[in-house]
Amino acid sequence: MTDLTLPARGALRLPGTGRVLAAQVRYQLILLARNPRALVTGLVMPSLLLALELGHVQHLGATTAGMAVLAPRVGGLFLFAAAAIALFTHASTLVVAREDGVLRRWRAAPLPSWAYFTAKITATVLAADLAGVVLVLVSMEMARLSLTSRAVAAMLVTGTLGALAFAAVGTAITRLISTAQSAQPVLMLTYLPLVFLSGAFGPIQSLPHWLTTAVTYLPAQPVVDAMSRVLLRSGGTLPPLHDAAVLAAWLAGGLLLSLRFFRWDPHRPRHSRTS
Amino acid sequence: MSAFTAIGADSPISVSSLVKRYGGYTAVDGVCFQTPAGQVTALLGPNGAGKTTTIEILEGFQSPTSGTVRVLGVNPRNGGRRWRARIGLVLQSTSLDAQLTVTEALSLYGTLYARPRTIGEILDVTGLKQDARTRIGALSGGQRRRVDLGIAIIGRPEVLFLDEPTTGLDPEARRRLWSVVGSLTAQGTTVLLTTHYLDEAQHLASRVVVLADGRIVADTTPDELRAMGGVPVIRYRLPPDAPELPARLASCLDREKNELTVPSADVTADLGTLVTWARERHVDLTGLEVGSPSLEDAYLSLTRPAETQGGREEVLSHD
Repeated sequence: MTDLTLPARGALRLPGTGRVLAAQVRYQLILLARNPRALVTGLVMPSLLLALELGHVQHLGATTAGMAVLAPRVGGLFLFAAAAIALFTHASTLVVAREDGVLRRWRAAPLPSWAYFTAKITATVLAADLAGVVLVLVSMEMARLSLTSRAVAAMLVTGTLGALAFAAVGTAITRLISTAQSAQPVLMLTYLPLVFLSGAFGPIQSLPHWLTTAVTYLPAQPVVDAMSRVLLRSGGTLPPLHDAAVLAAWLAGGLLLSLRFFRWDPHRPRHSRTS
Repeated sequence: MSAFTAIGADSPISVSSLVKRYGGYTAVDGVCFQTPAGQVTALLGPNGAGKTTTIEILEGFQSPTSGTVRVLGVNPRNGGRRWRARIGLVLQSTSLDAQLTVTEALSLYGTLYARPRTIGEILDVTGLKQDARTRIGALSGGQRRRVDLGIAIIGRPEVLFLDEPTTGLDPEARRRLWSVVGSLTAQGTTVLLTTHYLDEAQHLASRVVVLADGRIVADTTPDELRAMGGVPVIRYRLPPDAPELPARLASCLDREKNELTVPSADVTADLGTLVTWARERHVDLTGLEVGSPSLEDAYLSLTRPAETQGGREEVLSHD
């Protein structure tokens, strides 16, 4: 017969944080790997778009002119991928988990809230970094791009900081989304303007001056610029101060808003009855 | 007065003068009860009676407007990780990641506890061995409820909250869950159950607390609750062309269903009237039943709105 005995009181020593966190990161990576939208918009589509783009500039080879064309394209497509994973997928899966009661169950489990979020954001950042690595590998294969280890480190630093900023903003935005059905349109309204205004798909010089200035303070353009600089080997390991400051500010702001306003419970219509 | 004497200050679940209001609507209104350790207490009541609100306050999801609740001696709103490791819960609706397999979900939750049950044990007691590698999204509603239960008990909880756990389960799965709950209580787990199935309460609970409009209307044993249903009942479905019944019986006829239900203080006399009528008019009495009131009769008489039953308002038994 199955033993369903209770543990002796006092014998309870809960598993250590490291073990719990490792299990949670693995869980979040499994969820991402089994999320077709994350795979398509975060990995497949950016790589495909880059491959098509490289077809047009391949004749320039690994020349300075070629790199000048290639670098902003790779930077823009990295932004496209990172925002798809760390903003769109991260926020929409959080909303679905909340509305399905998954977050409520985690909250009732002996799992610290911070551990859940640390794991989810860690998995998101790892996936965004992987998207960046895939884009660079495609560029290396098709455009004979070569990168130093310092450039790779710089790329990962920028990618990580950008993904962290997007994930923090995405977490905060979930407060404004009341149902799983409304997640997609609300996030599209955030994600698409952010990507297009960053110059990810072409120059934005034709925009009004005030708008081009404003977008430098959004979390998208600093990612494109920093990645481009890395690929053009014109920067150090860290992103430029302005870009780093903008991303850090979005990260801090997103985290603060999330800490204050994040909701674990599914949205419920208010009681209209009176006693 | 409560029928329970073995409940003390160290009762695993203790609720005192609990009130929960949502704006002008009072969902729970002065509820008090304590649960005996190692037994099943069933919270019964119609939809909107306050069962889920009460259980959610006990689980720590909601704050009471006023009153005191303690689970394992702790205010659930302040319950930390160690306290949460001592309780298990099956929420009213399934709350699992559809992309995980059954085994992945169980092993993930198992990492949170000091001495979790093995995956094999859980698959065995929930009857999910065949589906161990199936993704939760591909399971039926009843199978998902069983995964819910498996997760709830994987940490060997001292207190288990079951919020309508058998909704959507087939009869075999219900029986299996009942058997699991029986094993758990035999080993000392205290269970608080909400259910709409009175046979479930009858089978599992040593005690039932009936809520209606946010208040306790009965706090007793299932047998005593059944006795509250009143006098024995004579039931008989009339044939379609049956002649007119005697006046005493005709008032108890549901003409839509053509069903006679006679609450009878004197069964012999009422049966005599019915048998005489049937003999004289050559009516076949096959299907005639005489029985004590069912738990359902008792429950309905307690929870029916006051205006439909002549203004019953008194609390029948209370802590």
